[in-house]
Amino acid sequence: MMAAMWISLKLAAVTTVLLLMVGVPLAWLLARRRFRGRAMLEVMIALPLVLPPTVLGYYVLLLTAPAGLLGRAWQALFDASLAFSFSGMVVASLLYSLPFAVQPMLQAYRALPGPWLELGRMQGLQGATLLRRVVLPASRQGMLVAAGLVFAHTMGEFGAILMVGGSIPGETRVASIALFEFVEMGNDRDAAMLALMLLGVSVLVLSLVYRRSPAMMADVRP
Amino acid sequence: MNELRMHAHGGENGLRLEATACFDNGIVLITGDNGAGKTTLLRALAGLHPARGLIRVGTETWLDTDRGVCMPPERRRVGFVWAETVLLPWLDVAANIRLGAERESTAWLGEVCMAFEVDELLTRVPASLSRGEAQRVMLARAFYRRPALLLLDEPLSAQAPAVRARLRAVLAAMRERLGVPLILVSHDPDDASIADWRWHMRNGRLIHESADGAALGKTTCGETAWKQG
Repeated sequence: MMAAMWISLKLAAVTTVLLLMVGVPLAWLLARRRFRGRAMLEVMIALPLVLPPTVLGYYVLLLTAPAGLLGRAWQALFDASLAFSFSGMVVASLLYSLPFAVQPMLQAYRALPGPWLELGRMQGLQGATLLRRVVLPASRQGMLVAAGLVFAHTMGEFGAILMVGGSIPGETRVASIALFEFVEMGNDRDAAMLALMLLGVSVLVLSLVYRRSPAMMADVRP
Repeated sequence: MNELRMHAHGGENGLRLEATACFDNGIVLITGDNGAGKTTLLRALAGLHPARGLIRVGTETWLDTDRGVCMPPERRRVGFVWAETVLLPWLDVAANIRLGAERESTAWLGEVCMAFEVDELLTRVPASLSRGEAQRVMLARAFYRRPALLLLDEPLSAQAPAVRARLRAVLAAMRERLGVPLILVSHDPDDASIADWRWHMRNGRLIHESADGAALGKTTCGETAWKQG
């Protein structure tokens, strides 16, 4: 039971860190630049919000399978299977939680006071330096909301991960799937414990986010 | 010699901005009604507002539409003071003043902060400053980075009368030390005392004005703009 919990926490942490790194430039691009295919990109990012998780998981499975594009590359690089592995679940989580990272950041970047950017530029800051010294500190709250939502959302992932991970005990069996299996087996005590822990983590993460930025949460409902 | 021959479309009110002027390194005072285009002119000079034509400051060409030159704001080296407070709230006063100019010496920082009477505020955060204090911090920031051009939008408006008179002299003295042009937008008639030139903006047009307020009309470079004294 604790093994499953540990895998869930690890998956959520890895996904959060990676998505913050991917989300910042992506959200910045969407907030500040006009380019061809922008609307399409926004649709693709929002898609996991409405797509049945099993559908997402199915396509990620095709992608990560030994014959799949990503799976083949992974096999060549690391001599290991990407499907039914922790790394494969990370791929699914990244896609699944992408909108939860991008949306709050997008909101934060769009709400950035214009003069702050102008000030930064006139003080000679540009590109990555401007991002690091003005944009990121100015959108700390959006980043925090993004991190909290991604973490909590990944903890609760089920369908997509089951497709790609396959619930291998000690490797890809995460807490939410373990809970389902405990109930199926009639193991009420472990089920109750695990459910309580998952509830606790979600409440903890959300209360951290809410305490730091109550205003931000009100208008971020991805 | 600094040269300006540019036009731009104003912001919301659809104003057409037109400005032609030559001026040496000194203080230019710009007056004019609200909405006459004063702030837009400053923003165009800083590169924040799109403009066409020619802008030369010192030996540098910042804008030359005919030759496809348009330097971005980050390379123009302007010291800009907004009419409203623009300070980064997560940095203390010292870090706000040094933003992007960290390589300047601490001696210079002390000098600038002393001059603009912000030396006691260095460890404070912007949220704790009065409007007048925030304005002085913005002034210190504008001068600290040793800009090629100073653009100040009503920079003394929030100061008490006694402080204002003092800071007016400081502005003139510090500008002299940097040896760069300073363009000052103001509604305060007393600010004329430190001005070397006076421009008036009317409906987006820059008009060079004589001492008694009679308009000389649009002058082109080569003709002498009126110089006070």
